[in-house]
Amino acid sequence: MASADTSLLRGAPFDDPAYLPSRIPSAYNPLHTFELPKGAEKHYHQQYADLYFLRLAQLKKAVKQRAEEAWGDFTLGDEKARMVDRVLDVRQGELCWVVGTVYMELGLKPNILDDIAKEHWIAAPPLRETYTSQSGHDGMMLEDESGRLRVFGESLSSTSVTGCVLAALGTEQSDGTFQVIATQYADLPRQPQRWERDDSELAMQKQNPPKRERSGKIAIVSGLDMTGADDDDLSLGLLVEYLTGELGGPPDQSKASRLSRLIIAGNSLSHASPILSRDDFNAKKAGKRHYGYDASSYDPAPTERLDQFLADILPTIPITLLPGETDPANVALPQQQLHPALFSQSRQYANPPAQSNESREGLDSVTNPWEGDIEGYRVLGTGGQTVTDLLKYVEDVNVLDVMEMMLRWRCVAPTAPDTLWCYPFQDDDPMLVKDCPHIYFAGNQKKFAKRVIVGPADQQVLLVSVPKFSETRCVVLVDMETMGVEVVKIALMQPKS
Amino acid sequence: MAENYKEYLAAKVLTDGRPVTYRLLSRALKTNVNVAKSMLYDFYTKQNAKKPKSVHATYILVGRKREAEQTHGANGSHKNGEDSFMHSSPFMSSLPEPEAEPVDEEAAQKTTMVLVREEELEATKAEFEEITSTHIYSLEPGPIENLNVLSVCNQEIATKYSSGDPLERWKHYGSIHNPYIKRRTAKFAPPPAAAASASKAPAKPTAAMSAKEKEKAGLERRGSVSDANTLGRSTPQPTSASNTIKKSDSKPSLKRDKSDIFKSFAKSKPKAKEAEKSKESTPAPAADEPMQAMSEDEGEDDTPVVQVDQEQQEAARRKRQERQDKLRKMMDEPEDEEMPDAPSEEENDSQDAAIDKIPVPKPTQSESALTSQGGRRRGRRKVMKKKTVKDEEGYLVTKEEAVWESFSEDEPEPKKPKPTPKPMSAAKGKNGGKKAQGSIANFFKKA
Repeated sequence: MASADTSLLRGAPFDDPAYLPSRIPSAYNPLHTFELPKGAEKHYHQQYADLYFLRLAQLKKAVKQRAEEAWGDFTLGDEKARMVDRVLDVRQGELCWVVGTVYMELGLKPNILDDIAKEHWIAAPPLRETYTSQSGHDGMMLEDESGRLRVFGESLSSTSVTGCVLAALGTEQSDGTFQVIATQYADLPRQPQRWERDDSELAMQKQNPPKRERSGKIAIVSGLDMTGADDDDLSLGLLVEYLTGELGGPPDQSKASRLSRLIIAGNSLSHASPILSRDDFNAKKAGKRHYGYDASSYDPAPTERLDQFLADILPTIPITLLPGETDPANVALPQQQLHPALFSQSRQYANPPAQSNESREGLDSVTNPWEGDIEGYRVLGTGGQTVTDLLKYVEDVNVLDVMEMMLRWRCVAPTAPDTLWCYPFQDDDPMLVKDCPHIYFAGNQKKFAKRVIVGPADQQVLLVSVPKFSETRCVVLVDMETMGVEVVKIALMQPKS
Repeated sequence: MAENYKEYLAAKVLTDGRPVTYRLLSRALKTNVNVAKSMLYDFYTKQNAKKPKSVHATYILVGRKREAEQTHGANGSHKNGEDSFMHSSPFMSSLPEPEAEPVDEEAAQKTTMVLVREEELEATKAEFEEITSTHIYSLEPGPIENLNVLSVCNQEIATKYSSGDPLERWKHYGSIHNPYIKRRTAKFAPPPAAAASASKAPAKPTAAMSAKEKEKAGLERRGSVSDANTLGRSTPQPTSASNTIKKSDSKPSLKRDKSDIFKSFAKSKPKAKEAEKSKESTPAPAADEPMQAMSEDEGEDDTPVVQVDQEQQEAARRKRQERQDKLRKMMDEPEDEEMPDAPSEEENDSQDAAIDKIPVPKPTQSESALTSQGGRRRGRRKVMKKKTVKDEEGYLVTKEEAVWESFSEDEPEPKKPKPTPKPMSAAKGKNGGKKAQGSIANFFKKA
């Protein structure tokens, strides 16, 4: 037997056990950036074109500035690079640079016209591993309000996707395409200081910032994928026991008390999206047709299991719950909060929605994407659809590269109106990153990874790719003082059959 | 301390043949989980000393796995023990990190918690570099084939032992105590209505205004179309709320049928009067006035003189009266008589009241960034708006522009807003009715 923990492998007499240290407080100040207007204020009749125009208008200044810094005195031969306002103003043979939104023409990208032609429009388009086709039909274009410009070039990074705003330097060739020598993006925006928002709020109330103790860690988990079946019960049970500090011996239990918050980053339920995937749809169509209430079409078990799961954890640790692709929220980004009616037990730990739209202690059901301040640091997180979708545009690029590029493009969901469902924003696009986060996580990825990226003004951002719990049984811990990342893995050593 | 753990375990495990986890034991005996873990161990050793192999155990190992084994484990074959480890380690070391981002992954410290049967315990332990804690997770009568059967214990906890205040659990079971968590006890408490109503209030006045304005416009247009509408026009005051009520109610009925008209008058007048009364009797709130004043854009009423002397008022009234008389003659309808009179009076009164009370600083008010009046904050603020325009060459250009936008928001305010909602709803109903009406009139005309 191991030596460190004989205390629990020991018989009578039993000592009175010491109580574990109490849970450390969670300084939590969520933002409501991604909340859509309520009820009748929500409109879906706008055109998506505005979203692209808006994105370009808001990012143009930053991109232009970056490009000016980089290419202000760029000369090729004796020709000086010149900025051109519109993509259609590019003249043949002239060295110039222009700012525009990228549009990728990819062979396998879902096309609504194709879908209608095939009369497959009722269900979601089939899942594709990638949008790029091998047939060489893929192309890249730069567009603004005036028109589109076909671009190509060795230096074009393979990471460009539809919707990102770039400045491209090059010349137009005789066939009308624009050969690109170099590109520039907006790069990371300003990063708020730690505790900036909390302190300014306190200053408004004429209070001095309190003395803050050393912060603990946050735990991020995603892809619980509850099905209501018994198979995953044991590992979920172990996760509960770990978070409540029941599992393990005193040293490990004390470590668990340093966790100040649990973030669930999407896909808590596995088959609950209101829009069926094509497979589910076909399966359903093949089945028998029922009239009236069909008990087989709605299974409350997964929801109850999730509610139970949350209610087991909530007495000891506050939770921030993001919806994900398969959760019963709206499907268009930004996904809105999971409805409290789903959580008959756990919603007692949340403020009633009529009273307040946030619960700083207890269960906070938030949007996806979501941003907020945890322990003074700005945290931005998504359920992972944005990353997964972006990965379909590019090859040989990993999750962290994609996440890094999103921040550098200053857009959390560049592919949003193109291949991701999205609310048609008109006057403001919350998907644009206005404040650089300190931590950016994406849920439901294949495996765990992390990286620290550095911006032009010394912004440091920790990127975390959070794996699916249902596949990897991993929980990611982030130390909010040191930004250190740990992984806790729960394993079942199933007997060999 | 519960000493009956032996009986409980014996009954459950040996007699019933069911698994018992430390958690279930702690819930059943209301004891600390760490004590429960020791109890399991105690029971396990004593029983097996008496009769070997009578009780089977599963263990929890918490610690850090060896790096090589870790990556290997991630690849799939977990339980092959030392054999596979021997194979894999030279293999792994010879290949310098075939993974795409090994640097990212390795930087993180990895803690593993393994649930393992006693048969595999030693082999699993060998995979660990450091074990920080071990304890018995569960006891069962014999070796189990599938660890998932242990989940019945958690289900039993959920069904049998879920009563009691969850916030007190830590005292009994020794889980981590969180002093900051709050739990609502009232299960289905009605949500307080205050918040909702407060948020709605500011939207109303503007709606009322725009409705009125629209109506005005509609009136003018229609006036030229049909002479029946001249009646509507006859009331030259497009603004006051009571006035609009009248118009809407009376006009449609007029066109339809004469007998109807009487009815509608009978109904509409008291209503209008009431509205008026409420306005007059309650010392018209300062907050309201600017609203009304602002919606008046006819030159007549525009002069924001504080003290309008009687003469002027009289003159104005007379003028109006004359115009109405003329109109009445035109209409040539005796029933009408009441109509224009009644509204005109009421309207005049309310109008005057409004004029009287228009505060002097009203014009400047809109200029200032923020003023607080009668409990309503109003002012202007700079907002960034997206604007898409066509430039001279015909291109679309999207720009972000700073635009001044007026806003008003309610501060906690007493009875004041009462009068405003009324005209609003009245105007609205009227609006709809009138439109439909107008078209019908047109139809008849042509016919």
